[in-house]
Formats: sequence, C-alpha cells, structure tokens
Amino acid sequence: MDTFIQLTVDALTLGSVYALIALGYTLVYGVLKLLNFAHGDVFMVGSFIGYGVLQLLGGAASPNVPVWLLLILITLAAMAGCAVLGVVIERFAYRPLRDAPRIAPLISALGVSFFLANSMQLLFSATPRSYNTFEIGNGELYFKGFDIGNVRVPLLRIITIVSAIVLMIALYILVNKTRTGKAMRATSYDREAAAMMGIDIDKVIRFTFILGSALAGAAGVLFAIRVPTTVAIGFVAGLKGFTAAVIGGIGSIPGAMVGGLILGCAESYTQGYISTKWSDLVVFSILVAFMIFRPQGLLGRADIRKV
Amino acid sequence: MKKGISLLLALAATAVVAASAQAKHEAVGTASKAVSCSSTLKIGFVTPLTGGAGFLGQEQMSWAQYAVKSLAKGLGLKIQIVPGDTPVEQGATPAQDLAQKFVGDPSVVAILGPSTSGAVAASTQTYFQAGMAHLSPSATRTDLTKTVAGVKEGTPAFFRDVPGDYIQGPSDANFMIKNLKVKKVVIMDFQEPYSLGLASAVDTTLKAAGVTTIRLSAPNTTTDYSAFVTKVPSDADIVFFPTQKPADAQTFAQQLLEQGKKAKVFGGDGSDDSTQFKVPGSYVSNFAPDITGIAADKAIVAGWQKANPGKTVGSFGPPSYGATQILMNAIKLTCKADKGVIKSRRDILRNVKKVTIKNWILGGTFKWSTKSNDPLNAKFYIFQIQGDGSYKLVG
Repeated sequence: MDTFIQLTVDALTLGSVYALIALGYTLVYGVLKLLNFAHGDVFMVGSFIGYGVLQLLGGAASPNVPVWLLLILITLAAMAGCAVLGVVIERFAYRPLRDAPRIAPLISALGVSFFLANSMQLLFSATPRSYNTFEIGNGELYFKGFDIGNVRVPLLRIITIVSAIVLMIALYILVNKTRTGKAMRATSYDREAAAMMGIDIDKVIRFTFILGSALAGAAGVLFAIRVPTTVAIGFVAGLKGFTAAVIGGIGSIPGAMVGGLILGCAESYTQGYISTKWSDLVVFSILVAFMIFRPQGLLGRADIRKV
Repeated sequence: MKKGISLLLALAATAVVAASAQAKHEAVGTASKAVSCSSTLKIGFVTPLTGGAGFLGQEQMSWAQYAVKSLAKGLGLKIQIVPGDTPVEQGATPAQDLAQKFVGDPSVVAILGPSTSGAVAASTQTYFQAGMAHLSPSATRTDLTKTVAGVKEGTPAFFRDVPGDYIQGPSDANFMIKNLKVKKVVIMDFQEPYSLGLASAVDTTLKAAGVTTIRLSAPNTTTDYSAFVTKVPSDADIVFFPTQKPADAQTFAQQLLEQGKKAKVFGGDGSDDSTQFKVPGSYVSNFAPDITGIAADKAIVAGWQKANPGKTVGSFGPPSYGATQILMNAIKLTCKADKGVIKSRRDILRNVKKVTIKNWILGGTFKWSTKSNDPLNAKFYIFQIQGDGSYKLVG
C-alpha cells in the first residue's frame, strides 16, 4: 500500500507538470489548429529564467527574501518572461504563415524549437542548472510535509501539485467566465465567424500565446525546483506534454489536465509495478493507441467534416 | 516494351547510384595521404561538449588544448585540436557522423576520444578501417579492449590511457564489501553502454561475495527518479548509480533523503563532479587522483589555471592532457621514422604503443600493457563527499 501511495504522489507531481505543458499545446491548437512544437523549449526557457531570478535574489542557500516570496517571484518572473517569448514567437514565426498550408507553420515551429535550444546553449552552455532547493532551510522543503501511512508527502511536492491546480483553476475561470475567454472560445470554434462578429483575432491569438507560454514558464519552474534543468530538457518534456494533450483531446482544456494526470500515472505505475525500463515505451504506446483508436482523445470533440 | 525499357533504365540508374555510393564510402574509409610534419597537424577530439555530460567534454578539451600549448613546440610539432561534439543524449549517431568526417579529412592524423564508451563502440570500426589511432581519456567499458563473453567491441586501433571497468567494477564492489560491509545493494543502469557494462561488473563481484543485488534500469533521458527511489528497499545500504550526468546523481541522492531511505549513492567516474554532485555521505570512484596533491604536477596545474581562470581542476581533464601527450609523442616518432613526412595514419597507429611517459600527469611513469591497449598498473580511486561538499580520498 505504501508503494502505491508513494507512486501516486510521484504520479501527481509529474502529471501536474505535464498537464501545464499540455495546456499550452491545447490552447494554441484550439485557436490556431497549430501544433506548437516549440512549446517544450519555452518550458525550458522558463526553467532558466527561474534559475536566473533565483540567483539574483541570493540563491537557495541564502535568499534575500522569505522562501514563500522567493518561490512566487521566480514563478511569476518565468511566467512573464515566457509570455513575452510566446508573443515574439507568434509574431515572427507563425503570424506570417497564418494563411499558408498547415505544414508551413509546423516546420516553422520545429525551426523555432531548434533555434531556442541552440541559442540557449550558446548563451548559457550545456551545464545543468540546479535550483538547489535542498539547501533552503537545511532541506525543509524535502523533510517537512505530511504523512499518509508511512509515506511522507514533502512540502516541495505539495507546492508543485497545489500550484499547478491553482493555475489550472485560474485558466478554467479565465476561459469560461470572462469576455476574453469567450472570444477565445469563439475563435477556436470558427475563426472567420468570430472575426465577422467583431472579435480582434490577432489580439485573441496573441493572448492565447501569452497564456500558453506563461503556463509553460510556470511548469518550467515547478519542474526545476525538484530536478536540475538543462537546455536539452525541452524536447522530451514537449513530447510528453504533447502526448498528454493528445490523450485528453487536443484542443480541450479539461482534456489537457486529465491527459497530464493520466500520463503521470502511466509513467509512475509502469516504473513501479511493471518495469522501470518500460515507462517510455508504455507512455508512447499510449500516444500511438490514441492516435489510431481515438484521435479526438478522451474529452476532445470529433472532427466532423461536411461532405 | 516501353515498360521493359523503363524498368531496365531504372535498374541501370540504381546500379550507377549504388556503385558511386560504394566508391564514395571506400574513398572516405581509406582517405589518407602523406602530410608534412612541418605543417599544422590536426587531432580530432570526439567528446560530449554539450548535453548533460557537457561538463566532462569542456574540461577534457581545456586540458587537451593546454597540452598542445605547453608541449607541442618542445616536440617540434604544430598541432591543432578539432572539436567534435557527441552529446550523450543523442546516442551513437553523432559519433558515427564525426568518424566519417574525420576519416575523410587527410589533415586529421589521429583522434582523441571518443570520450564515452557508447561513442567508441559506434565509431571504432570506421577509424580502424582508416588505420586511425583513437585514444580515449575516459571510455572505461571493459569490452572495448578485452574480450567479454566472446565479444570485443573495440578494435586494435582503439587505446585508452585510463583503466577500464574491469578494474573499476571490482574496485567499487570490493570497497562496498570490505569497507562498507554492505548486505543489499541496488544497481542502476541507464540503458547505454557505459552504465550497462559497469553495472554488470559491480553486480558480478557483489553476487560472488553473497551480497543481495537488485537491478533497476532507467532510460537515459530520465530526469525525475522518484519512482526509482520508491523501488529502493528501505534496508538497502547502497545505490550504485553509474551515470554520466552528475546532476542526476545529486537528484537521486536528494530524492532518497526525501523518501527517508537510508541508502547512500555510489557513483562511478561519470558522476565525479564536486560542483554538481555534493550530497554528503555519497561516494564516487574515478580513474584519476586529485593531481593538485601531486608535487610533480605543480607547474602543470598552475599553467592550466592561468590559461583557464576561475576553473577548478577536476578528474577528467588530466587524463585528457596525458592522452594528447601520448598522441603527440606518437606523431613525433612517426615524423622521425618517416623523415619529416607522415606517409600514412597507420604509421602513427603503430607508434602509439611505443610511447612511454616519464613524470606521467597521474603520477609515476606511463607504460602500456603488453596484453591489451590499456595502461599498465592503473587503478581506480574512491572518494566520499564531505559535509562541505569536498571529495575525500577513502579508497
């Protein structure tokens, strides 16, 4: 039972990060019908912005501000930085190709992905960067927390899971309860009709990139407060986020959240109960199975075409 | 009839393309022409300059450059190091591509590296066919120089100036048995040649001594080890973690503490980096001692530090300096025998094992083993991480 609880805690931690990445994919796909393969690298940049701000604030061992404020500041900085990056990517890599065949922005997205990964490598080298959160208060983020049976749920994991849930709830409210969210949904449903109704499509798309990239920035920090980040993490993280989005139904916001959690569970339980060797095989087999048998995902809507 | 002619033409075109491809392959495989010893001679350096093991390649490169700067002139040579990046995350492909590139360039006379065992396995045949010596300062997998279970992956053109896992595996395991009195050990691998070889070597020695071992295997792209830590029994004494990414060893050690597990992490040479792996109580092994403690190396260390301000002396750099020194000496022997011209790369290959170095950077005199392309009498050193993050020699 303890193993199951521990694996579930692992699954929720991993799944929360995957869900935040998946939301970025799904938001952009919903509005632009574009698979933004540069999204994983935006996530990577977010983790580096968080690292940079952490150093500016004195580092984990001797921060200049209280720990709770430190965590909020690095997360907000990463979100803001990635939001700006998202706007720049949209403006220069995707907008000029908006009316081009769908393969063109896809190739552009891959180009942006390589550009970001290589630029970051040139600027910051390949050395892994650790937030060293273990040094905060002699490891209090690791040793404090609460127990479920014999399993300790450390503060750091609670922070990761709760932060992701808060961000997802905020996004849900924004998309479903605000005027801007309504414009996003309208654009997602029918871009031309939305434009005819007076919605500023450029503004909506820009806002969508801001939202998706900010969530990737937050995910980058929530990931890197637990494990070291490198300029190479974007590719695999992006693939996992994409898989989560496909499982949930690409274009569906609740689907991305569910997909992320399912992916986290699949990875964690496979490692725990089947074989540690097989986790990636299982994860990507799930992706293939969904692509073949349920391409609309669990909560996505089927693509009905007029014939 | 038209169909028949078209088919014939298509077959003929295919044959021409295939023949020219074969010719090109052969040309690349054997490209070698006489090179004047007074010209600038190039040595390719195949190492991970980027990715999770980028720290290793950067350190090795700085020492190789320093060896050229401080030794080439005295040997009467003009040497240029040409870097080639093999990120460990990208598997065998970059090493194979680089081998084709270096073999095809007649001005590249020898190779430093490949630095990782996987990269050696992927490219050694290409270098061997071209008669090109490749000398690694860090690839330790046993079957690169010795036959293991009927398999020997390395070719006669491959050399290393550090001992292999046939020494590291038993050294680490014997330290665990004799010094740490272990009863249960978890052994990780990362589904790539370096860790698989080393994990098996440790496993064999531990089992022979009656120690219970549990094997876990993680994809090389793993970043979060929580689920693996969950599988570590609470009564395990050690987790042997032969990664090439020291930051991962740090993550694993932290996550063990997070889950309240008492096991200590024991890393191989690939995790020996005091700036990244610093959880107190953990262990690492390495093929090189701390050369800052060797009196004869004082001038070398000072010179390297002057050329690399702000950098600290690690364990991967000095063997790279030594490997460069060996290759340059082999080139000098070749130039002397061939009267100022390197007629063929094979001549350098033949001279590598004739090189001995007095005042070897790792201490003593460097000599080759007569039985394999390994150094004679080399050994591994075991360090324990202290409370202040420093590495203390314990075995």
